[in-house]
Amino acid sequence: MEKILDEYKELMEAYDRSGGVSGEFSNPKIPSIIISGNKVLGKNTVEGLILESEPIENGASLKIIVKKGTKILFPMKLCFGLIPREGIQIINVYAVIEDDAGMNAISHCVFPNAEHIVHKMNFKLEIGKRSFFRYSETHFHGVSGGIEVMPYVQGVVGEESLFEATFILKEGRVGLLDTKYDMEVMKNGKVELYVKVWGKGNDNILIEEKAALKGENARALVKSRVVLQDNAHSKVVSEISASAPYARGHVDCTEVVQGNAVAEAVPIVNVSNRLAKVTHEAAIGSLDSREIETLEARGLAEEEAIKILVNGILR
Amino acid sequence: MDEILRANSIYLEKDKRIIIKNLTFSVPRHSIAAILGRNGAGKSSLASVLMGLSGYKPTGGRVYFEGEDITELSVTDRAKRGLTLAWQVPATFDGLKVSDYIMLGSGDKSENILKDVLERIDLNTVSYTNRILDKSLSGGERKRIELAAVFAMQPKLVILDEPDSGIDAISLDKIKQLIINLRDGGTTILLITHREEIVEIADKAYLIGGGEIVKDGSPYEVVCFFKTECDECFHRVIPEGFTKEV
Repeated sequence: MEKILDEYKELMEAYDRSGGVSGEFSNPKIPSIIISGNKVLGKNTVEGLILESEPIENGASLKIIVKKGTKILFPMKLCFGLIPREGIQIINVYAVIEDDAGMNAISHCVFPNAEHIVHKMNFKLEIGKRSFFRYSETHFHGVSGGIEVMPYVQGVVGEESLFEATFILKEGRVGLLDTKYDMEVMKNGKVELYVKVWGKGNDNILIEEKAALKGENARALVKSRVVLQDNAHSKVVSEISASAPYARGHVDCTEVVQGNAVAEAVPIVNVSNRLAKVTHEAAIGSLDSREIETLEARGLAEEEAIKILVNGILR
Repeated sequence: MDEILRANSIYLEKDKRIIIKNLTFSVPRHSIAAILGRNGAGKSSLASVLMGLSGYKPTGGRVYFEGEDITELSVTDRAKRGLTLAWQVPATFDGLKVSDYIMLGSGDKSENILKDVLERIDLNTVSYTNRILDKSLSGGERKRIELAAVFAMQPKLVILDEPDSGIDAISLDKIKQLIINLRDGGTTILLITHREEIVEIADKAYLIGGGEIVKDGSPYEVVCFFKTECDECFHRVIPEGFTKEV
């Protein structure tokens, strides 16, 4: 019991350091779940939200259902993580946002002591009609870089619905990141995918974002911001396909390299309907020395100036 | 009055071109010193040398600040000693809030300071505090924010590179008054300009041409010389490909 309490305490400390407010887990109005390894350390649900969890080997399966017509008032808080230096955590999520429903969710994945950790998330999402789901995932890793993170999100955005996903990994080392989004968007639906990552050391970052605009007037924005330093490497593959009339999509990828880092950007646009339109922009460059020197002229050290610039880019 | 800044026999050569040649001048503490010169005279290069910007390490000569040789110091170390620069065309920053930028160099991080410095340069606190310092700001707005940052920092000496350029919403008289206020608040000013109208507020003036100081004296003397002598002068422009042995 004491061991679990220690684990809970350390996880919450890491959660706070990653920008979360751990006190919110004790608020009965806020839906939440805390999973350390394969143990559910805390869970709270609210009216209109079904939240079920089941331990599996090396992780947990979650079922999240927002019932028809329900708009969850407060954002759901999720905390996943591992305190030990080594281990595997697999989280399988099946989420359904039924018709005329909506929820915001903020997830923090914390691995403060990671040396040999694998974290996989398989997220299957179904959003009904006239609904919304905003999902933000922030990672907090230790400094060793011994971690592999593989979040895969696959789903369907129903008619007149919205899915907004933000993935943030700025604190600590990335290790290996292999993230995939694969979304289908129906009539008048909208998907917005944002990825913000700061790679250091020999971090390896692979980002694949796919949006298929299948319904008339469907919309997609796929935006990535990656900053690399040292010997880090990144490859961003952003793809939007549009097969329905008046579908609109835009790919926006910016990567900043420092040191010996290497960045690749591959925007893919596919249009198979003459009334659809998809645009893209991709830029790879370095930090502006004028901007660094401007901040240095206010008394900041070079490292502080770079941190401010990077945080600005990844804001 | 003691000197706060001194440049001794500065040379700067870039791409085999002499940009600054044997330039010596000093700035008395708590004064406004003006460096007047036409475009291409070497004014901004001189500002860059004094601030220690990359690519502007002098090929000869020394820079002293409060008696200390700062020639080899980094930009940060110079700023920590109380020297700063307000650029002619200030940089923009994606994601950085105006308020955060202004307060970066300020010892006092209170909201009152922010409000005070924004009001001084006629920017509305509510409208600008949370704005991002990116390219959505006009050149004039960005220049005024740069001045606000200098006010907040309260440096011992600020190099103002063409402070009046691009500020259409503030009159020249307002700019002059702001600079005088800055000096009266204890900051020494090195004013770099190509406009003789602004030089009149200086306590001392230098005329730069072809990378050299060609005249120094009172603002009146220097401006008169500038108006009457400079058009025909050899120093007016640096001829293309002009090189000399340093």
